[in-house]
Amino acid sequence: MPTKSIGEVFLKGFWKENPIFRQLLGMCPTLAVTNAMINGLAMGLATAFVLIFSSLVVSSIKKLIPSQVRIATYIVIIATFVTIADRFLAAFFPPISKNLGPYVPLIVVNCIILGRQEAFSSKNTVGRSLIDAFGMSLGFILGLLILSAIREILGFGTFFGFQVMGQWFKPWIIMILPPGAFITLGILLALALQIERKTKARR
Amino acid sequence: MIAVLTSVGLLSGGFLSTVGLLTKERIALNKQKEIEEAILAVVPGTESSQKLYEEKDLSIYGGKDEDGNLLGFAIHASGVGFQDKITLMFGTNASLTRITNLTILDQKETPGLGAKITNRESFLKYWENKDCSQPLSLRKPPAISPEDLSSSEVNTITGATISSESVLNTVNLSLERLKRLKTEGKFAIEERNAN
Repeated sequence: MPTKSIGEVFLKGFWKENPIFRQLLGMCPTLAVTNAMINGLAMGLATAFVLIFSSLVVSSIKKLIPSQVRIATYIVIIATFVTIADRFLAAFFPPISKNLGPYVPLIVVNCIILGRQEAFSSKNTVGRSLIDAFGMSLGFILGLLILSAIREILGFGTFFGFQVMGQWFKPWIIMILPPGAFITLGILLALALQIERKTKARR
Repeated sequence: MIAVLTSVGLLSGGFLSTVGLLTKERIALNKQKEIEEAILAVVPGTESSQKLYEEKDLSIYGGKDEDGNLLGFAIHASGVGFQDKITLMFGTNASLTRITNLTILDQKETPGLGAKITNRESFLKYWENKDCSQPLSLRKPPAISPEDLSSSEVNTITGATISSESVLNTVNLSLERLKRLKTEGKFAIEERNAN
């Protein structure tokens, strides 16, 4: 693997390898919880917590993990942090925990997290793994926020719960339902691809 | 190989049981607080409440004023909705002839349509102070103002008949069950209050 600079490792999560728009990983929470920005943010932060701590643990004990059972070990480590996040939300933010429902425990099977352990943390130093995890988490949060902002503004007429659309605005109920998630994600993916193509052509 | 997996599992298990212990109390407290607030909303004037009866999808609480007189019952029940279970709480007077109020605690109905069952203006206000000596019925198409409804009728939400019916059925079924339990004398506390 050619060594990348720290900056590159950090920044690739935002665009070049953005989990949502470029890698298409973690689609289940992306589609399910982005009907309101507060839910998108909470999901993003919970995932970031799990990703950062799992990367920290996996990269620090990578030499001890036999390759035959590495996936099982990663899952145990990931599940530990997911359970902590789940209990924490239920104890301190009960309304958010209720809104996110089963999607917090489902972070265990979020491919971004397992993917980063397998592709990065198991081969890199603790420091680089942490930077990678931070970059990926921020990229994921950014993606969730963009998606949930579009859906919340069109579906409820609000931005983070504040009314931004005037009285004339009739909320598009479809945007907060599952079809709205697919339509928005599809349009955003097409846009991301188009931008990527344009920048490549210019180079 | 086995040693590594076992020790990772043991460490994680130990760590999680600590986290579980630390948060258990708070989570239970949150749940209890939610229920207490709902009881206060459906049985106005409640100073203290006590769980009188519990079975699957149905819990009955007694709401009492500061002197310990029974003001009414708060019924915590769940029933099948359009998408998922609807969990609600409604209050009755002590003689079980009137529904004082209704509130929805948990639902996953269609946003903008069935989810209006949580809205006071479009749905819940029609449930305030209803005669429940007979099973309640739905008014469809909905009446414009609460005065147009008979004392045992509640409004349907336009476009969400199934959600409205689910709430109605859950209330009617749990009322029927409550009345039967009451005649069978299943509430230990009530006897003491009557004296």
